[in-house]
Amino acid sequence: MSVELSTPGQVLRATGVSAGYDGRAIVQEIDVEATPGKVVSVVGPNGSGKSTLLKALVGVVPVLGGTVSVGGTEITNLPPERIAKLGVGYVPQIDDVFPPLSVKENLEIGGYLLARHDVAPRIEAVLEFFPRLKTMMTRKAGKLSGGERKMLAMGRVLMLSPSVLVLDEPTANLAPLVATQLLEEYIRGFADHGSTVLLVEQRAKAALRISDWTCVLSGGRVVLSGAPRDLENNPVFVESFLGGGAARH
Amino acid sequence: MSVFLSSLGFGLISAAVLAIATVGFTLQFAVTNVLNLAYGSVMINSAFVTYYLNVHAHLNAWVAMVGGIATGAVASYLLNRFVFTPFQRRNLLPITIVIVALGVDLCGTFGLQAIVGGSYFSYRQSLGRELHFWGMYFSTLQLTIIGICLVVMGLIHWLLKHTRLGKAMRATSANPSLARNSGVRTGHVISMTWLISGALCGLAGTVFAMNTGVFEATSAQLYIVLMLAAMFLGGPGEAYGAMLGALTIGVATELSAGFFNPQYKEVIAFVVLLAMLTFRPYGLFGSEKTI
Amino acid sequence: MSAILFYLATLIVYGAVDSMACLALNVQFGFAGLSNFGFIIFQAGGAYVAAILSMGNWHKSNGGFQQYVLGWHLVWPLPWIGAALFGGLLAIPFTLLVGKRLRGDFAAVGLLVSAVLLNQLVNNFVPLFNGAAGISIVPAPFQGKWDPQGLGYQFAYGGVAVVLCVLVYFLLRRVTESPYGRSLRAMRDNDVVADALGKNVQVQRTSMLILGGMIAGLSGAILVGFINLWSPGAWGYAETIVLFAAIIVGGAGNHKGAVLGALLVPLGFEEATRFIPPLSNPALVPALEWVAIGLLIILFLWFRPDGILPERRRILSGSKSVPVTTPPGVESDSLINLGNLDQMDFRQLLRIEGDTNDHGTILSCTNLTRAFHGVTVVSDVSIEVQRGRLTGLIGPNGAGKSTTLAMLAGTLAPTSGTIHYEGRDITSMPSNERAKSGMVRTFQLASEFKKLTVLENLVSAIPRQSGDSLPGALRGRRFWGREDGENIERAKEMLEGFGLSQYADNYAGGLSGGQRRLVEIMRALLAEPKVLLLDEPMAGVHPNLAHKIGDQLMALVKSGMTILMVEHELSIMDAFCDPVIVLAEGRVLAQGTMSELRAMKEVVEAYLVG
Repeated sequence: MSVELSTPGQVLRATGVSAGYDGRAIVQEIDVEATPGKVVSVVGPNGSGKSTLLKALVGVVPVLGGTVSVGGTEITNLPPERIAKLGVGYVPQIDDVFPPLSVKENLEIGGYLLARHDVAPRIEAVLEFFPRLKTMMTRKAGKLSGGERKMLAMGRVLMLSPSVLVLDEPTANLAPLVATQLLEEYIRGFADHGSTVLLVEQRAKAALRISDWTCVLSGGRVVLSGAPRDLENNPVFVESFLGGGAARH
Repeated sequence: MSVFLSSLGFGLISAAVLAIATVGFTLQFAVTNVLNLAYGSVMINSAFVTYYLNVHAHLNAWVAMVGGIATGAVASYLLNRFVFTPFQRRNLLPITIVIVALGVDLCGTFGLQAIVGGSYFSYRQSLGRELHFWGMYFSTLQLTIIGICLVVMGLIHWLLKHTRLGKAMRATSANPSLARNSGVRTGHVISMTWLISGALCGLAGTVFAMNTGVFEATSAQLYIVLMLAAMFLGGPGEAYGAMLGALTIGVATELSAGFFNPQYKEVIAFVVLLAMLTFRPYGLFGSEKTI
Repeated sequence: MSAILFYLATLIVYGAVDSMACLALNVQFGFAGLSNFGFIIFQAGGAYVAAILSMGNWHKSNGGFQQYVLGWHLVWPLPWIGAALFGGLLAIPFTLLVGKRLRGDFAAVGLLVSAVLLNQLVNNFVPLFNGAAGISIVPAPFQGKWDPQGLGYQFAYGGVAVVLCVLVYFLLRRVTESPYGRSLRAMRDNDVVADALGKNVQVQRTSMLILGGMIAGLSGAILVGFINLWSPGAWGYAETIVLFAAIIVGGAGNHKGAVLGALLVPLGFEEATRFIPPLSNPALVPALEWVAIGLLIILFLWFRPDGILPERRRILSGSKSVPVTTPPGVESDSLINLGNLDQMDFRQLLRIEGDTNDHGTILSCTNLTRAFHGVTVVSDVSIEVQRGRLTGLIGPNGAGKSTTLAMLAGTLAPTSGTIHYEGRDITSMPSNERAKSGMVRTFQLASEFKKLTVLENLVSAIPRQSGDSLPGALRGRRFWGREDGENIERAKEMLEGFGLSQYADNYAGGLSGGQRRLVEIMRALLAEPKVLLLDEPMAGVHPNLAHKIGDQLMALVKSGMTILMVEHELSIMDAFCDPVIVLAEGRVLAQGTMSELRAMKEVVEAYLVG
């Protein structure tokens, strides 16, 4: 990677986090720690609460119990815009761009917190990273293809040089080749350059390949966690996806 | 031909007033999802402030106009801060907000009537020199209104496309949650939206009253219908659609007045609005909410 | 003294007219969820028709100083009947606006604008309505025989008005306190779900618009016969807002509340201000009246949104006990016990017919495709569902499972492809008819009717209720009461089977997530499905409870029911579903038992790699 896109990472730590809507916890007592230079992935079957966990960490879903901190600063239940300012960049799974805004404007909103004169150079830097976006700067984000759209979503988050990247199923609905490239080149790349990456992925095996640590979520709780190579051959891991007991704990 | 041109001239003036009003109205809907049916009452209150400053306090018309604009901005801001936002926090049905807005409209309009009385007011100034070109007649005042409209539309375009705030407004409209994740303080953006749209509302009220010349506390009560027609024609929440819608409705009402019966000139706006609501509620061009 | 009596007679007439109007609007707004901001149109229309039907030909009467149409000089009560009929007719074009696709507030704006438009037209179009001047010297009923200015006449008039108002009250009560009224409230709480349970919401809305229009027309007729004037200025759109204010103050969804609101707001305000001495500014008092009405709306909606007399909770179970409060949260759901389901005879309770060994195809789709804004979500999906089996539909996020289910149920129209049910092509059949013919779906998101009790939620779904239509409701409890009693017993039996009896009279909106799931499943079952389409019924349900539910689904299937279930909890699929169909990226990937599927490389890949 020729361009430095992210600043040195900070530790993102969730301790005993329970979160959900209307006072009803969807995820319970989750402990996760993401550290600089590492990719930590959260995998698990549909509906296990992966997205809810990420949303709670970035302030979109209320945290009902436990604490979240980044770089030692507690961020539990701070408004999302404050959490963004503290260096946490979040890419949601859906609704990840502003469809009626052009690609350039999406990036500008990504750099909303930058000083005025830093925006243009920063866009240049991000475009170096996603050169494909260069040719479509005036196109509306709603008209992009799935892969281009995800690049834009990532690019938008990189505008603020985040120290922690929180990515919710970035490869959903992407063609397999594009997905692999996104995970192995870009996302792994962020971590290799010192960023902290917390990744929720449905393509569990692909996630394991690029992760340093993986948590398996089921029924709103962490049922298994460990280094990828230990998990891969663990029968409980496969079962948690294809059934046979994991859901019954 | 001459009927056509003179009606067209009138239509352009109506459209100018309507465009200022509708753009403010549609911005409120786009960014905060409030169908603010109390907009007309804020307009007329602002118009009366301008009138008072100009006719009674003997201030220069332009200075008085600034007073009207400020009234609209502050009143709209307060309305959002103390009425709409608290109600919206309760996650009520959109219809409840509409009923609340109608309640506010009654308070605003008739509160004003209680103060100024039920009689008509008029600006005693001359309309200025009459100018005519291409068969259309304009007074200086009317040309000024068209000029103001063009400047305001230019400013709105500049705001939405070229300023940080405008882009944040559009981002908030499109996806408020993602805007916050990008560091946009959407609460602040929404407040600014109400100030700006309120300023447009105040300006619209002022030029509305100046253009009609004679007005009373309830004069703007039905104006909301023309604004709704213009907004739904261009697509709810679309600023550029609102401009186009206002131009269409403004010209169409005056043309129908010229060729048919002036008493029915608003009918075309009603018919357009009902047709749009029935068949294409997201406007001629739009399929979803965008500015 | 006699001045006071005259005044009293006037009050009685006004009170009756306002009460009738509020009762009618309340049925539309408080019960059916229709925000009819154009209500005044119907009152004004009725009043006009009553006036011109009772007046003579305009050329001949009073020297032709006012223009109008008809002028048939009919004898009472024909003008009033005509007014009611006209009010009903007038409602028909507006049913276009309250169609189910339009946002509620947009439809309301449309009706408001219609009211303004018609008022403008009336003000300006002289031949039809005599323009802004309106019509005067409208004859009072029996004017020639009795003296309308006499005290006796005025009280008699008031008496007739009150009697009619009382009749309207009981008529509307008859409608709302019937199974049909239950369906109206269900539609108000969630129209998409009501539709999926077989309620024709379009017809329900149309009926309520017409019924309300007729009552409004009649109330207008009563007024115009009393004041002998009809002026468009008195029928401005803002009058509708006054009626809305009355209902909000009195209590939406409560007939007594509507009457109370009518007496407090339109009548009370009008009359209280009469006693304020004239001021130098003649506009002041009426203006302040409007301000007060505006404030009343805002303050009531903020501090007492349910009004002075809130909607009553309907106790169907017959028990007098206080409803139990429920602890929220998933944890408490693990403690739910599914009662004595084992002893339930599903075939009898759910009217299941047919041979339990018949496993022929009951539902199938061919090349079903759906695109949203150019993105294809489901493409060329062909599925066959066999009678008496629990078929599972699984797949990773975004595989198109829920979309497929929604197309089968008719909630979504397919972009292309066909659907066959019991040998018939039902591709273009509306969802409520599919439900009536036995295809019932549940929803992934909470879909209970919040302000119906648990028992009402269940009973509302039972098909072919003789009281669940406007004519049926009007025939009264004697017509549908016994059957409804039986239906309630059936629902109670179901509730007991699922161990939720103690919640029978709780509002469904207040239950925990797992309980609401159960309510939804019970409700769908009581709709007597031949094919039950379940969209993630176990989502958010504690695993213990999920397995109890699964056991019951198996029992249902054994009793002859067909189930197609979208579910992501694969352990459930393992235990209960055969066959299981795997969707991935909008296409059918594989089909088989879970153990067969688990051995297929492409299925494992789809789940673990994508």
